[in-house]
Amino acid sequence: MSSSYSSPLLRLGVVLPALTVLKLSAHLAGVSDVLLHDHQLSSPLTSFSQLQEGLYLFRHGIDPYNGGTFRHSPLLLALFSSVLPSSKVFMATLLALCDAVAAWALVRTWRARQNVPSSARDGLVAAAYLLNPYNLLPSLALSTSPLESALLLLAVMFASQKKAAPSLLSLAFLSHLTPNAILFLPPLLLLLLTDPHSHLASPQKISFKRHKVLPLAVEFLLYVGVLTVASTLVAGNLNWVAQTWGTWFTLPDLTPNVGMWWYFFTEMFDHFRPFFLMVFSVHLLIYVAPLCIKFQHDPLYALFILTGILATFKAYPTLADMGLFLSMISIFPETFPYLRFPIVTSLLHLHSALLLPLFHHLWLTQGTGNANFYYASTLVFACSNGAAILDCLFAGLRIAVGKEVDGYDVVQE
Amino acid sequence: MLPLTLFHLFLGLSVSLLGAFASDHQEETVKGFFGRNGTSQSTHTNNWAVLVCTSRYWFNYRHMSNALSMYRTVKRLGIPDSNIILMLADDASCNARNKFPGSVYANPGRHLDLYGENVEVDYRGYEVTVENLIRVLTGRVEPSVPRSKRLLTDEHSNIFVYMAGHGGNEFLKFQDNEEISAFDIADAFEQMYQKKRYNEIFFMVDTCQANSLYSKLYSPNILATGSSQVGENSYSHSSDKDLGVAVIDAYTHYVLELMEGINKTSQSTMQDLFSSIDPNKINSHPGVRSDLFRRPLDKTLITDFFGGVSQIEVVDDEEGVEEEAGLVGGNGKDSVSSTAPAQASFAIPERRASHSKRHIEPVSNTSTTSEAKELWGWVGSSTRAWGAVALFGGLVGWVRMRS
Repeated sequence: MSSSYSSPLLRLGVVLPALTVLKLSAHLAGVSDVLLHDHQLSSPLTSFSQLQEGLYLFRHGIDPYNGGTFRHSPLLLALFSSVLPSSKVFMATLLALCDAVAAWALVRTWRARQNVPSSARDGLVAAAYLLNPYNLLPSLALSTSPLESALLLLAVMFASQKKAAPSLLSLAFLSHLTPNAILFLPPLLLLLLTDPHSHLASPQKISFKRHKVLPLAVEFLLYVGVLTVASTLVAGNLNWVAQTWGTWFTLPDLTPNVGMWWYFFTEMFDHFRPFFLMVFSVHLLIYVAPLCIKFQHDPLYALFILTGILATFKAYPTLADMGLFLSMISIFPETFPYLRFPIVTSLLHLHSALLLPLFHHLWLTQGTGNANFYYASTLVFACSNGAAILDCLFAGLRIAVGKEVDGYDVVQE
Repeated sequence: MLPLTLFHLFLGLSVSLLGAFASDHQEETVKGFFGRNGTSQSTHTNNWAVLVCTSRYWFNYRHMSNALSMYRTVKRLGIPDSNIILMLADDASCNARNKFPGSVYANPGRHLDLYGENVEVDYRGYEVTVENLIRVLTGRVEPSVPRSKRLLTDEHSNIFVYMAGHGGNEFLKFQDNEEISAFDIADAFEQMYQKKRYNEIFFMVDTCQANSLYSKLYSPNILATGSSQVGENSYSHSSDKDLGVAVIDAYTHYVLELMEGINKTSQSTMQDLFSSIDPNKINSHPGVRSDLFRRPLDKTLITDFFGGVSQIEVVDDEEGVEEEAGLVGGNGKDSVSSTAPAQASFAIPERRASHSKRHIEPVSNTSTTSEAKELWGWVGSSTRAWGAVALFGGLVGWVRMRS
């Protein structure tokens, strides 16, 4: 923590363009073609080839939501059929720019948290986002999940800067892509109504103007409503609701991914399917309130932990979701001394990152393994995610206790 | 008691009459569909094949090769393994005396391996018995018999039954210890007719005095052919020097030769098949029995029995007009996609020309309408996309104004 970061290479103005150019050249070198169909990097809801298929159908006047394979949001359909071209090169450029924007938003959030106009660690924070292979590879695979990460980071940045409307709009757009993102609304509202500064070391009961919550929530719902109208306009009918949002709750597509849902539901009897779908979906709700209550003094930290939890337990995750969580750790350096087993977590992540593609290949390409192999590697991945979340949770709470002093006991009031 | 019985009778009669009228209308629609497309006029919807080789031992290699050549043919022309019952009384490919293990060749010089890839034998070895054959044909199998060993045909199935082995006057020898007679086969087919298990049967036999085997058939819609008359032998074609046995029978050899030149879209008829066999070359006189068969032989396609092709008619939802496929071979006309020029290459040119001569108006009408529809669809969707983007842009602008 004490090494100097004043090297000119690590200035933000150098890091951001350099890494963006690096990413683009990696795409142009043909890396994308190798990664395009990787199941770890893109799920059926974020896959580029599915997006292309939907755009093709849309261009030829066929309803893309009639078929059951196209699950992207109609907003993406609209954007890529009109304003943005849908070629691979453009998508790579767009994702590189999105990543740059996301890194910039993370840096701005960091600066807002530290309450400084610029700091020596800016470049490091940006590099921690851009060079994280969990973020780098999905954007090289032309998956739309880096877009979702960028939108969340933008929402957090605007909230840190107390700009309510852009923050809620970003979250509304994100909710259209991923309905799970609605769960970010409570900590985001708390963040908007308090401040992003680090209060982890001195927890206090939160004080915010309660009468402001309802207008903000209504504003969010209004944005979601307008975007719903726009989506219905594009799609022409309401089929898209079942095909995009409904997918998260009914899990019709059991393509293997790094999440924990698909294997459960491949072997589930139909009799129990609705019950377990309900359980898995409602399960995500139970984390929001406790996190917001326990970290009421620092809602940004609550949001950060919730990112990790959603990345582990959502229905169609990709590696980019966890990459967002792991990169966001870099803006909470005050927790680093209190992490109990960072090396174990890192090694677990390394282990799962190597196992996931290996067992995927063994199962689906070579045929000498079976689905249990890959499921085991997703369990290891979930274990490493859990370890990371738990450690960050502990560290965030442990700061408040402070340094241990002989002869004194810590008691909770 | 009596009024109750009368009431039940009345109920049953009225229901069956209504059913008959309803099914009459349905029959008309179905017949109309089959009648519209092509000159084949066949009313089958699926194809099955029962291929039997009844002889064992190494020196009867040619009988197994016969059955496997027909297996190869029907599989190549589109009948899937699930619709083929292959009965081989012995395993020639893995016989200890086979110098080329794992293969069964169809001609001297070993140019064609019938056992090369993906052969699914349903009844093998001692399972090939007269009882099993009749059970398979009539469908009266034990409950424990697996699905792949059942003939799951319905009243719209065309079945190709091929038998090869040693035979005589009105009998066929199974495995050197029993025989099936022409009466048994005729009765089995009649049971199939009564149980509505076939639309049409093509019965082909390659044995000595083969024509006698179909002489006792009496059920309708059966076309039969044999390789030699009563009193004549069917001869093998030739033997391979390295294998040391005859590899195929003459009749089946010439049938296979004709079939190798045919693909799924072929319009060759059964008449072509029967005419192509030269009695001088095979040293026997093949026979055909077509009195039980409804359709003229020069209008019956070979692929009606040997292939798994089907008629397709694409109905346009929006216009409510039925477009004709006009092509045998499973190529339907897609009104929405723009692959019309590509489809012409699938069709046999003269067929397409004759079709278009008869029905020029509907074809051109629907093609321009479909293109126009596609254009309008694109315009509509493009407008909607821009509208949504404008809405989103407006929202972004409003948010910027507020902050």
